[in-house]
Amino acid sequence: MKASGTVRQHIRRTLQALQWHHWLVAAALVLALGFTGLHAYRAVSAAIYWNYNRDEPIQGWMSVGFVAHSYHVPPRILYQAIGLPPKPDKRPLRIIAKAQNRPVDAVKASLQNAIVHARYPPSDKGEKR
Amino acid sequence: MTDFILALLPLYGAIALFGILVVSSAGVPGPASLLLLVVGSLVAQGEMTLWQVLVAGISGAVIGDQIGFFAGRIGGRVLLRRLTKIVGHAGIKHAEAFTMRWGGAAIFFSRWLVNPLGPWINLSSGITDYPWIRFILWDVLGEVFWVVLFTKLGAIFSDRVQSLTDFLGHLTWFIVGAIAVIILGWKLFGHFRPFAAA
Repeated sequence: MKASGTVRQHIRRTLQALQWHHWLVAAALVLALGFTGLHAYRAVSAAIYWNYNRDEPIQGWMSVGFVAHSYHVPPRILYQAIGLPPKPDKRPLRIIAKAQNRPVDAVKASLQNAIVHARYPPSDKGEKR
Repeated sequence: MTDFILALLPLYGAIALFGILVVSSAGVPGPASLLLLVVGSLVAQGEMTLWQVLVAGISGAVIGDQIGFFAGRIGGRVLLRRLTKIVGHAGIKHAEAFTMRWGGAAIFFSRWLVNPLGPWINLSSGITDYPWIRFILWDVLGEVFWVVLFTKLGAIFSDRVQSLTDFLGHLTWFIVGAIAVIILGWKLFGHFRPFAAA
């Protein structure tokens, strides 16, 4: 009982001695803790996503060759899917989309579709039925 | 913006890498780490040459850092005069002593481990008159480590650079936050310590 009273007295004395800049440091510490916790959570989420999703999101800066490399499919299939001749083309997708006068999302969708078909080709059996 | 910057890589190769790293190391925010990971992936795909990437990357980053350092040294004098009026001579001397003691480690680690802090460390090193020869030694060491490490990571995980960037980005900010927590916690603990001892 006496010990807890001493501790309470000690805390009161410490808090009374705090000046405005100590409160400022304490507030900054709380903010920094929140920031650190948020990014720890996001880093863990990204690591979990990394572990379970092996597919890279297709971005406008990527070239067709880069997408083919990321998805492990032959580049000629992807060139064909967006109506390009099957030879190396270093242009990013956003420039290809502009040249074809369509939104970059439409180009991405065509590539996604071709990737799905390249990975899981429809079986002959299934088509005949 | 990221799309635009990264799209320059396959088109202009090492020259684009050099230019982007000069600008981003000088303090203009940009996806520098993602850029190096993409470069590593392009090297693995045979689209870029490793030695060109290393030369362009390291020299671009080091030149950008010098811009920040000398901007701090030249432009910082005016700022320093104003700061002296606010925090006094003792405060400035304390900051300079702190930079002299911890400057090397701060420069080295802010090149690769906590690289969002890089441009600020360049400026503060210039403002506090950190010796340039020591600055450039730590700077080159850190930038070599950063360029080699991230290019290598990009080459190893060449098919997953975007996902890797998301993870590394959050990890970097987590480390920055943890450093801030340690420094602020230490400062606050310094106040409580005399009471604890009593």
